Amino acid sequence: MSRRRVVSIFVVAAVAMATGFLVAGQAKVQLLTPSNQVARYQALVRSVQELEASNADSRQKIAALRAQIDALEAAAAQRSASTQALQSKVADLRARAALTPLSGPGVEIDLADGVPGPDSTGGSGYQVNFKDVQDLVNLLFAEGAEGIAVNGHRITPLSYFSGSGGEVIVDQGPPINAPIKLQAVGNRTRMEAALDDPSVLPDIRAREVQFQLQVSFSGGPDYSLPAYDSSLETSHVSPL
Amino acid sequence: MSALFKRQASSRAISVWLIALLVALVATIQIRSQAEVERSFAGTDTTSLAFLIDNLHRANDSLQAETADLTQQEATLQSGGDTAASQVLTDEANRLRAAEGLVPVDGPGVVLVVNATGLGALDLQDALNNLGIGGAEAIAVNDRRFVVGVPIEQTQGGVTVGGALVPVPWTISVIGDANRLAQAADLMTQSLRADRRVREATYRVEADVVIRAVVSERPFVYGVAP
Repeated sequence: MSRRRVVSIFVVAAVAMATGFLVAGQAKVQLLTPSNQVARYQALVRSVQELEASNADSRQKIAALRAQIDALEAAAAQRSASTQALQSKVADLRARAALTPLSGPGVEIDLADGVPGPDSTGGSGYQVNFKDVQDLVNLLFAEGAEGIAVNGHRITPLSYFSGSGGEVIVDQGPPINAPIKLQAVGNRTRMEAALDDPSVLPDIRAREVQFQLQVSFSGGPDYSLPAYDSSLETSHVSPL
Repeated sequence: MSALFKRQASSRAISVWLIALLVALVATIQIRSQAEVERSFAGTDTTSLAFLIDNLHRANDSLQAETADLTQQEATLQSGGDTAASQVLTDEANRLRAAEGLVPVDGPGVVLVVNATGLGALDLQDALNNLGIGGAEAIAVNDRRFVVGVPIEQTQGGVTVGGALVPVPWTISVIGDANRLAQAADLMTQSLRADRRVREATYRVEADVVIRAVVSERPFVYGVAP
């Protein structure tokens, strides 16, 4: 084998090795980094899913425990008139705290995302957000609602709304996204009139025009709202 | 010899093709699955997911505490007689009256003072909602009790809470977990001070905040509870 041929074999080998390292390096940057990101995403999403499952499980347990306690209290009330009076008072208080189902006439409101468009509020103006839900709940209570549910989650005297972007969190519930349905039982006539009034809910009205945010409502003679199934935390407050 | 060489060459070519096919298949599956996962999280960054996890942890802790309380109540009812039942019902009535704002209450918390021109009903509604997120268990604005259901409205005369005018400065008394409320109040006052309309936004933590204002009891007119 000539010397020239040996040199050329070495040159080809060196070029092949360099190409191999370059390709491997590129693959590492382009494939491994995203795959690490994906793994991190997957781990975080798995955590969210596990926590949501635990959340749903706890809420089911709470609902079951409240039903068992109701039954035990009812049994105790049958044995004593004073306990019966007390139980009746507690039942009344529980109804107003949204701890029992409620039915009656009312309205149903459907909220759905609009169409993305030029937006000065960071690009999420087309989405239904927690403030929309909060504003609607406040309006409905002001107009005679006696009970409200957001996607089947009852609003209590201590309820709060949070979330970011198009995510809405009510109390300790999991995040929900549009479409969102609000149901309110109460003075149907007043609630319908308020929802028809173009001067109320100015932010929502403006986004209906700008982003085609979808807001529709209808009234009905009989809606059924479920009982609140989460925590009504009052461990720091004491009656005087 | 030539036939053997041809057979070897064709089997080598098939092997190369098979390996190439396998590599292409694996690469396609890998790229597709990555794209699929990325698509499912489109718009959700890791910070949002971490925030969500934090919220869910807190929510689940709260739900577990409620489950423990209810289990205790159930055990008391099962083991005791009428006296135990009366005690459970009395405690529950007191707890619900406090939650519904029907009785004066006290407890640890914070007192915020906000003095500003041009703040409206929505600003107050947002502030009270933020305090709710921070764990508020009882709230009063200028000695007007607030619970969800008490309307906050904008009128020509100013902001009303439950129909009563609450002129600035707003003194917001809040009872709950003082540490969590202090964090919420700190963020709120910082944000308010950045608003040019706000002249004053301060808060103080107190061991015993007293709220004497109450909400009047409203019977259901339309709704029917079972």
